[in-house]
Amino acid sequence: MEERQYDLIFICRPDTPEEEINKLVATLEHAATERGGKVEKTEKWGTRKLAYRVSKHREGFYVYLVLRSTQGEMIKELERRLKVADPVIKYMTVRLDEEIKRQQKLVQKRERRAARRPRKPAGTGEQAAAAS
Amino acid sequence: MADEENPQAPPPAPETPAPEAVPAPQAVPATSHQGPPRRREGGPPGRRMGGPGGRREGGPGAGPRRGKRQFFRKKKVCKFCVERVDYIDYKKPEVLQTFVQDRGKILPRRITGTCARHQRWLGVALRRARNIALLPFATEL
Repeated sequence: MEERQYDLIFICRPDTPEEEINKLVATLEHAATERGGKVEKTEKWGTRKLAYRVSKHREGFYVYLVLRSTQGEMIKELERRLKVADPVIKYMTVRLDEEIKRQQKLVQKRERRAARRPRKPAGTGEQAAAAS
Repeated sequence: MADEENPQAPPPAPETPAPEAVPAPQAVPATSHQGPPRRREGGPPGRRMGGPGGRREGGPGAGPRRGKRQFFRKKKVCKFCVERVDYIDYKKPEVLQTFVQDRGKILPRRITGTCARHQRWLGVALRRARNIALLPFATEL
């Protein structure tokens, strides 16, 4: 299986102490690397207002991870851990590699077109001559 | 021989379009009598009155064309196309918020002017943002 990229976001209760969140993040990272994954980025967004109530909380502590892995099992394990973890009230994983691929394709296309445009008058003539 | 052919060729080209353009408008009002023009004038206003659907949305005197058509609509442009966006990030609720109604509904394309492709991406991003409580499914009262 080729390598896939994932976004993993989870929300902790706002009253959990910072150390506990750090510990949780550390265990998650460890579990990810153990299963052949890589942690590209870890961000703590801090306490934010939630758009709606989640298990009776109106605020939550957001943690954001970017992961890469060839093993789908890794995500399964991480989600299991998040489900079990006490301070976590919500989590979400999104697979992003296909969208990134699409994005790169579009960028390449645009660059190619931008590169072609200035040469167009001369290029078309040459092409026509070559074709004939 | 060559001298005669050359001068002949250029003059017809400019002459032919000019006479056609000039007499044509003259001929129509001159030859047509009072009868037909009246009917023509009477017809269009009635049809215009019959179809006010176009006018309603355009508003009065919008756009640079004042005289002929009152219901000229300003063309909406996709914001994402203007900024050349290749990926709509679901992690930026501030951006997504502008494409949502007050109560949290996704605004349709006909109102925001987003192109089909970007609206599709936008919908995905909005739904993801909702899932992780960055945007509301429905605003609470």
